[in-house]
Amino acid sequence: MNAPSAAQTAAPLVSLRGIYRSFEKDRREIPVLQDINLDVYSDEIICLVGESGCGKTTTGKIAAGLLSPSRGELRFEGRLASEYRTRSERMALRRSLQIVHQDPFASLNPTHTIGQILSFPLRRHRMVENRAGLRRRVWELLTLVDLTPPGDIVNKYPHQLSGGQRQRVSIARALTVNPRLIVADEAVSMVDVSIRIGLLKMLHELRQRFHLSIVFITHDLALAKYFAWEGRIAVMYLGRIVEIGPTPAVIGHPAHPYTKALLAAVPEADPDITRRKKQMPLRSEDIPSLTAIPAGCSFHPRCPFFQPGVCDHTVPALLPAPQTGQLVACTPLAQSGTLKPYA
Amino acid sequence: MIGTTVASPSGLIIGAICGLVPLLVGLRYGKIRAGLLAWVACLMSGFACGVLGGIPMIVLATAVVISYAYVDKQDPFTSRASLEEVNFEESNFEYFMRQMSRLGRTLRQYWRALTRNKAGFVGFLGLMFFFVMLTFGPLLVTYEGRARIDRRQPGASSLFQRPSAEFPLGLDWQGRSILSHVVYGGQRLIVTALQAGFATTLIAVTLGALAALLGGALDQVVVALANFILTVPQFPLLLVIATVARDQFKNPLFLPLLLGALDWPVLMRAVRAQVLSLRERDYIQAAMALNLGLPHVIFREVLPNLISYVVVNMIFSTRAAVYQLVGLVFLGMVPLQEPDWAVMIYMGRQQGAIFNADAISMLLSPILAIALFQLSLVLFTRSLEEIFNPRLRTGL
Repeated sequence: MNAPSAAQTAAPLVSLRGIYRSFEKDRREIPVLQDINLDVYSDEIICLVGESGCGKTTTGKIAAGLLSPSRGELRFEGRLASEYRTRSERMALRRSLQIVHQDPFASLNPTHTIGQILSFPLRRHRMVENRAGLRRRVWELLTLVDLTPPGDIVNKYPHQLSGGQRQRVSIARALTVNPRLIVADEAVSMVDVSIRIGLLKMLHELRQRFHLSIVFITHDLALAKYFAWEGRIAVMYLGRIVEIGPTPAVIGHPAHPYTKALLAAVPEADPDITRRKKQMPLRSEDIPSLTAIPAGCSFHPRCPFFQPGVCDHTVPALLPAPQTGQLVACTPLAQSGTLKPYA
Repeated sequence: MIGTTVASPSGLIIGAICGLVPLLVGLRYGKIRAGLLAWVACLMSGFACGVLGGIPMIVLATAVVISYAYVDKQDPFTSRASLEEVNFEESNFEYFMRQMSRLGRTLRQYWRALTRNKAGFVGFLGLMFFFVMLTFGPLLVTYEGRARIDRRQPGASSLFQRPSAEFPLGLDWQGRSILSHVVYGGQRLIVTALQAGFATTLIAVTLGALAALLGGALDQVVVALANFILTVPQFPLLLVIATVARDQFKNPLFLPLLLGALDWPVLMRAVRAQVLSLRERDYIQAAMALNLGLPHVIFREVLPNLISYVVVNMIFSTRAAVYQLVGLVFLGMVPLQEPDWAVMIYMGRQQGAIFNADAISMLLSPILAIALFQLSLVLFTRSLEEIFNPRLRTGL
């Protein structure tokens, strides 16, 4: 997509093309995703950020192949997902895409011990040759996610572990099948703040060691900035990607009014900085309902740079921003290169 | 089968031989007390059920003994060495010992969970009392099936007699020992009720799980059928069917199946709701993402979370079936077969025991037996909840 680095010139690992997804509620179609285009290259971190309900998780689930899109295509290593036909091909595809859930209390079955939880996929996919291999692999996985000594953990039930420990078990379970991509769906947001950094560091190390791609879904821009500094950020709003590009560009020079608003709203630890920080007043605090998405640019009812007659008519395309190069979906910016405040 | 027992003195010998296995294992590892207890357990279980009780008890008792002995063994997993230094290769014997000790530990956890809840443990003791009475009782008490006119006391207007030293629970209207009828009379009732409870649970869980997992037309049909059965008054319907299908009672499975066919809707609705909620859990989705397969998802992920609920409800269905059976007999809607607690109540009423002070035991004995059995069942569910819930079981 935009300015791929040398390592990214190869075909993307996973690519979403023109993805639409809607859910039916009370016999009405609710469009959750509209025209999502996203490439995830191998060995890359990509962060999906946005308010709750913007479609981050749905995008993640589609990328992980757990949810089929209503329209559009999912490609894995250049091949359509539907072209993986034989049983072994589908198993391999399934293994390559894994997910780590948000809630570490709900993602582990309370009736199994940690050893069992890790053994099931290892045995099912014949990742180990024999009993000794199985035990060695479980030991290795627990050590990988810093759950040491493994002997203290392996016979415990999930409820006997802390939230952070469970999240590590979740990650270890995803690693059992040697995946290429892990979708981390708010993977640290339900863990104590003091443990988050440790988990993120561990994810980074695992990514480098196993050349994983990580799709990191979060609502916390500060977290996204920390975690994906070497990767890319995609900002989502009401089921569309409004801005996508390398993290330093998006965070340092946000182009889309919504990204600017999000960044302005991030609180700083230092109260002096927070006080001096320039606020960006939105015209409305309310997020429009998915059942009544505004015409044109869906952000226009809240946008402080709203231009009547332009923004409420045409759906903006993702185009390179004037100086910084990230892709941004904003019609006035594309036409004139600057944003004028709404009178 | 009914009216006899599988317990026999020769079972004692079988049990004693079976018990040698855990006893020797206990001696080998220096756990003599555990070994002796295990030997007694095998002895009793062999005594009660012969080979069928002795052989399974060998495995369970040996596992418990090994779980005491094996804990000190150095499992590579508990070592703090690095991966390169640890040797995970183990002989088949070591693997066997490790698995047995795991089974034994689980059994001890079950036992602890069973005894932790006082009410549940009382229920368990009650059930054991009935089990012992029904299996070992026939060895001590002879069944009196024929009328004993010779026991009539001079001047008495009936054969009924109050409890005495010779007849601890008195005599019934035919001069037979009530104690013998109490001892023998529970077998058919309890076995039929257990079968009915099992049938109810089987139908309910199968239909409930299928309806929830497959959805669509099947779901709608099953739920509509359940609602229909729920709307019809149960006991009158049972009476009507029992009257119409009189000939079927020769088949011993007819009654349990009939009760099951009328009793499943409540549990089915509950199971369906549980499965609907379970299948949306994150760990189910994780299992799907790991492609663990549908059988694994159903039997290893969903079912273990349902099992405590299902077993507790099976007990409740059994309890309901006991009352329905007693009710049917009391109204004379099913063929009467002695010995049976319910038949005792029926005949007692028929023979005017209500108005005869000498006959008080004729009615009270079976009523108390039934009530105590029901109470034990209900109390026992409290322990079952603790046993099947890993959170309660592991005590944290």
